[in-house]
Amino acid sequence: MSSNESFEPRIAAFFCNWCTYGGADLAGVSRLQYPPNIRAIRIPCTGRLSPTFVLQAFRQGADGVWISGCHPGDCHYIEGNLYARRRFTVLKSLLEYVGLEPGRLHFSWISSAEATKFQQTVIEVTEAVKALGPSKFLRKEIGMVA
Amino acid sequence: MSDKILKKDQAASFLAELAQKRDLHAPALAGGRLVWAPLEPGQEPLWQFNNTALSPKEFFFPQTECMMRFTNAQDHEEGMVMHSEPELARERALVNMRPCDAKAFGVLDLIFCQDEMTDDPYWRDKREKSLIIALACNDPCPTCFCTSMNCGPHSEAGADVLLIDLGDKLLAKGVSDQGEAAIAALPAATDDDLAAAAEAKQMAEAAIITTVEMDQINERGLMELYEAGHWDRTQESCLNCGTCTFCCPTCHCFDIQDETQGPAGRRVRNWDYCMSYLFTLHGSGHNPRGSKKDRVRQRFMHKFKYIPVKRGGEIGCVGCGRCVQLCPVNIDVREVVRDMNA
Amino acid sequence: MDNQAIAQGIREAAQRLLAEGLVDCVLGYEAGTVPMRERPFFAYTPEEALRLTWSGFCCNNLANFLIRRPQGETGKVAVVAQGCVSRNIVGLIKEHQLSREQVHVIGVASPGMLDRDKVQAAVGADKVISAAHEEGDELLVEGPGWQERLERKKVMRDNCYTCVQRNPVIHNELIGEESEPTHGGVIDKVAAPWEKLDPSERLAAFGENYQDCIRCYACRDACPLCYCHVCFVDEAKPQWCGKTQDEADVLTYHLLRAFHCAGRCTDCGACESACPQGIKVRRLTGKIEKDVREFYGYAPGLDEESVPPLSVHKPDDPQGFIK
Ligand code: SF4
Ligand code: SF4
Ligand code: SF4
Ligand code: SF4
Ligand code: SF4
Repeated sequence: MSSNESFEPRIAAFFCNWCTYGGADLAGVSRLQYPPNIRAIRIPCTGRLSPTFVLQAFRQGADGVWISGCHPGDCHYIEGNLYARRRFTVLKSLLEYVGLEPGRLHFSWISSAEATKFQQTVIEVTEAVKALGPSKFLRKEIGMVA
Repeated sequence: MSDKILKKDQAASFLAELAQKRDLHAPALAGGRLVWAPLEPGQEPLWQFNNTALSPKEFFFPQTECMMRFTNAQDHEEGMVMHSEPELARERALVNMRPCDAKAFGVLDLIFCQDEMTDDPYWRDKREKSLIIALACNDPCPTCFCTSMNCGPHSEAGADVLLIDLGDKLLAKGVSDQGEAAIAALPAATDDDLAAAAEAKQMAEAAIITTVEMDQINERGLMELYEAGHWDRTQESCLNCGTCTFCCPTCHCFDIQDETQGPAGRRVRNWDYCMSYLFTLHGSGHNPRGSKKDRVRQRFMHKFKYIPVKRGGEIGCVGCGRCVQLCPVNIDVREVVRDMNA
Repeated sequence: MDNQAIAQGIREAAQRLLAEGLVDCVLGYEAGTVPMRERPFFAYTPEEALRLTWSGFCCNNLANFLIRRPQGETGKVAVVAQGCVSRNIVGLIKEHQLSREQVHVIGVASPGMLDRDKVQAAVGADKVISAAHEEGDELLVEGPGWQERLERKKVMRDNCYTCVQRNPVIHNELIGEESEPTHGGVIDKVAAPWEKLDPSERLAAFGENYQDCIRCYACRDACPLCYCHVCFVDEAKPQWCGKTQDEADVLTYHLLRAFHCAGRCTDCGACESACPQGIKVRRLTGKIEKDVREFYGYAPGLDEESVPPLSVHKPDDPQGFIK
């Protein structure tokens, strides 16, 4: 882990508008400290999250991706997160099958009341990605001239 | 132009000489497939082979080619700094190219370098820095129909040197000045060698088992061919994939894109193909070739009518037979030409 | 029944259907212009039906042509379907691309289709093959001045070894008899080589598998699942996948295409048979097939009732990795 100590990962974080996004808000209002490595992207529901977004994040230089939505049973659209759960299960397995290191792709259920869980999960996700170092997975590099 | 002799057991040293100022490439077997690969100096190339699965057009027209780079530099007075891509650093020799492929690049010269306004520097640079040593075919494949396409198993067009296999030696014909210079030091061929080469040519041409006629296509007006009844059947099973155009030595369509990342950017061109839904799709959403039939028709009309009309009778096909072998649904260009000509 | 007898049966069925005006068209195979490449053929008249054939080189998946099928008076087309093709037809019906009444399935038990690249490799990469005939369990391959007999089993397509249902799962009529449903191969083995590797080795193997890909999209275009009017790789606003030959772009294409086949792929092998570069495209779809079976107990197209696994959910679906 030592070689990655100074490495600050960039993590694309897709949060459901109805829960985790609110949880993040509450964590902020409550002045809970967490690492600044996540770039929060608000989505209407985890069910809206196309696997394409995940690949796009890695292509564009994300070192990790985190998707978070409502607990099963709490979906604003009743079952979006349950469809998403199946989709993520297959996606995660596929990406790890082709060499994405376990620890780069994360999922969680966090409600708008769970500010502490939010804080803890950011820490956990950041540490896991940090330990792995910069991601090369699908990264698109167009190169620069000196 | 002169006729020289190159003994096969001296070919490696002849090529090693060329390698002093050029990178050498030749067809080679890799994992059961015939591909173009670097030829190490001192290594003898294959003399007996069918043609490579894909055409060597990649040497002049890479599937992805960076055309220029740019950097968004706020401190620079122009705001944007442009960098042209470096030219090919070292000259090349492409050894044992089949005559159909060499011919194809001759045809493409007419398209990439038409006049002062239409002169593709990327194509030109690589063409000018490449010496093409073609190897005549003595054993054509059953799918070859080059003799019907202004070409042939011993065609010289587009090559700098044409080699003809005479057993333990090769007859080397200088075709261009560059080619002449490359073979200048070789001993001259005898009359017997020339006779053997002429016989090999005759036998090879006779071994081409399929021919197609183009006389009606040439005669008929464009709209008549365009509106012909057979297109509905021709297109029926086509998948609209890129196989036939990507393997083809004469297909040359491309699509240009700018890619950016932070302050850096590059302009790339990639092969495109008329079978694609995106080909000619307008920004408005309108597509003049909106249906599969339109796209399939474009491929054949372009090769067998539009190019001949616009390029002094040259045909946009050299009869290499690759698309015949590779099309996943076996749409055979020879049958299509027969339908067009019927 | 041998191939000739089955071909005869197909022709008779097709002639009858067309003569009686029961269907607008019969989708089958005819002999191609090159050896080992039977090709799709659309027969509209009883005379045209005489061109239909059957052999171990019927490697296209004809279900692909049902999506934008010929539209005529009866509103019905007939299609020659072996096990996998029938599974794809079931899939298309489930996905509302077609109704059961619109298709007349001429079912045939698959003999296990043959891989022309394997045949070529077996006789020598650079030999010209002028004909290849099946004779029982053997394939007689001929070229100028030579002949060679190959064991049919050794040159079968990879997916046909691991096929779990050679018999048509739905049919209106069956030509010949049903066969053993499998060839004895284990479908889980498709994904096994990479599953053994660690992440960095997997990534390398992944890149290597697709390094010769020319992005012709024949694998997509030959597949009966890939019927989107605009494929994600062709989308421009936003552009999900770059157009270049950069590894990142090539792999993005393959990953997403495979994912779009999740819970739908019948392992028919049409993608691999179509690929001009001999790429093992099923390395990805094979893994997903296995996962979907393990996680949700689902195998595509085997029955008409079950709901595709990504269009449904259960309260107790696995979620061990979710925090
Ligand atoms: S159209 Fe086919 S036969 Fe003609 S040059 Fe192209 S690949 Fe060769
Ligand atoms: S229009 Fe089609 S046939 Fe003509 S060069 Fe372009 S891709 Fe080839
Ligand atoms: S003719 Fe064949 S290779 Fe060409 S686009 Fe159609 S299916 Fe693909
Ligand atoms: S992905 Fe390949 S094996 Fe699966 S259904 Fe499509 S063509 Fe068949
Ligand atoms: S058919 Fe083969 S070469 Fe073409 S895109 Fe698919 S994997 Fe790549």
